[in-house]
Amino acid sequence: MKTDLVKKEGEVIKCTDVTCPVCGMSCDDCEIELTPTSVTTKNACLMGDAKFQELRSPHRLVYPTVNGERVSWEEALNAAADILVKAKRPFFFMGSETSNEAMAVGIEIAEYLGGLVDGNATICHGPTVMAIQDAGQVACTLGECRNRSDLAIYWGCNPADSHPRHMSRHSMYMRGFFTEQGYQSRKMVVVDPRRSPTAAQADLHVQLKPGKDYELLDAVMVALRGKELNPDTEKVTGVSEETIKKMAEMIKECKFGVIWVGLGIASTRGKHYNASIAMRLTQLCNDYTKFVILANRGHCNVAGFNHVLSWTCGFPFAVDYSRGYARYQPGEYSCVDALTRGEVDAVLCMCADLGGHLPKKAVEHMMDVPVISLEIAPGPQAFVSDVILPGVLDGMECEGTFYRMDNVPIYARSFTTPPFDFTKSNEDTLKQLLKIVKEKKPRK
Amino acid sequence: MMDIILNTGSTVYQGAIIKGGNKFTEGYVREAAYCNINPEDFEALGRPWYVRVTNEYGDSVVVKAKKTGTQQKGEVFIPRGIWANTVVTPETESTGSPRYKNLPVKIEKCEGPVLGPEALMRANFTKNGKGQEYEAKKYLDKTTSQVSHS
Repeated sequence: MKTDLVKKEGEVIKCTDVTCPVCGMSCDDCEIELTPTSVTTKNACLMGDAKFQELRSPHRLVYPTVNGERVSWEEALNAAADILVKAKRPFFFMGSETSNEAMAVGIEIAEYLGGLVDGNATICHGPTVMAIQDAGQVACTLGECRNRSDLAIYWGCNPADSHPRHMSRHSMYMRGFFTEQGYQSRKMVVVDPRRSPTAAQADLHVQLKPGKDYELLDAVMVALRGKELNPDTEKVTGVSEETIKKMAEMIKECKFGVIWVGLGIASTRGKHYNASIAMRLTQLCNDYTKFVILANRGHCNVAGFNHVLSWTCGFPFAVDYSRGYARYQPGEYSCVDALTRGEVDAVLCMCADLGGHLPKKAVEHMMDVPVISLEIAPGPQAFVSDVILPGVLDGMECEGTFYRMDNVPIYARSFTTPPFDFTKSNEDTLKQLLKIVKEKKPRK
Repeated sequence: MMDIILNTGSTVYQGAIIKGGNKFTEGYVREAAYCNINPEDFEALGRPWYVRVTNEYGDSVVVKAKKTGTQQKGEVFIPRGIWANTVVTPETESTGSPRYKNLPVKIEKCEGPVLGPEALMRANFTKNGKGQEYEAKKYLDKTTSQVSHS
């Protein structure tokens, strides 16, 4: 660890090479100047800056509450432990804006109590992870994309909004080792039913009908093989034969292409089948040139949950420990499904806003069962919570490890401390909780 | 009432609001409680200021209507947030991921109003008395919010 990256000048803290804990890119070139009343950022995007401003926000949750009443830290932990040990089928949700280390402890509690465990990865790129299991992924790092890629296909994603520095840092506008001319040496294709801000910059915008990704991916594979397209292709997909053939030509002509898939593939009808055929298209592209496929993952450590759970029990998400060993079944043990069916009787949610991000039918069940949240700001999740344990900002107030969207682990250093002294990190909070849980419910 | 396809997704401004922890502010309403509509559909709906979007369960939400050429005819876009998620359905096709995109819904012109985030949460979720309990929570009251660290 390079300690000289954090400098203290009186009450002002200056830190360089800060890792941003917002989107899946985990940008590690941010610079922060922190005074007792303000935060100034460099290199952070609009979303990253907003997150860093949380360090000095007036709404930060700084003391624990139970049913809205301020309580001591010990009382809150005991209340949380009571809820968990009394539950027959507790559900543990590991949010993504926290470290692998914290997730590992959360999974340990789930295993100890025989609960369900799931994470943001499921409601985000869960179907894409299932497609990796099904078809296999030809992948690379973001650095390789930066230095080699001369064709970017953004399929069902809009990085101009969701990953504001994506195109300027990794995929389009910067100069790379083999792409010295920057954007002049690259081509961009956007496949999106909307004329999104990303599509407005594209060399080719393929405006398909919503939900016709599978059919269009199939048609591109046919065009790549040089076969005749089905005469109904345009009627079904909304994309002309000429456009599909042009896209196939651009694929064959490039030296190194990248398909960036977004939730336009994973969240629409077909889900993992769409992602599977996108991966098979990538494999086919490698018959003609070099091609990879990467998921534009939305949260900073959303990939980390898949990794931590995989190295813990062998499965990437949607795991049930109720029989004492891990069982994996998306659609049954996954968050939205388990909540919608109303089969869990307690929820622990770490660093995620389930109240705001899940469909109404799933959130309704959280109103009926006790909910424990590690949360930093008032909002929908605090609204549905019974016990609130103030969260710590990983990568700012405590160190940790994040997995970037290309599955590269990034170490995030801290440059300040939490505004309270009862916990040092979310990992520490969960370790304290696990200790009390073990005291209240010793293993037989 | 018109049948239409709903897509939800993030925008950078909506992202900045939620990442900054400002979900219970007017800014969240401004950046997440609107619906982008193709000009032809906008005319067919009677040039609305507000629209009500209803899903197959009968859950509905009122959002501001925006006429925009970025949408295709027959599909609308609402930014990711509690307004969109009121009508997003929980079917996951056995994947765990709900139908955030390509969701058939009904849309109609209405007179509003658009509920703010706290009012919408209370309207959607009041079972078990938690909605009422929340009224008493001190951090909701902006004048007595949890102590900022100075």
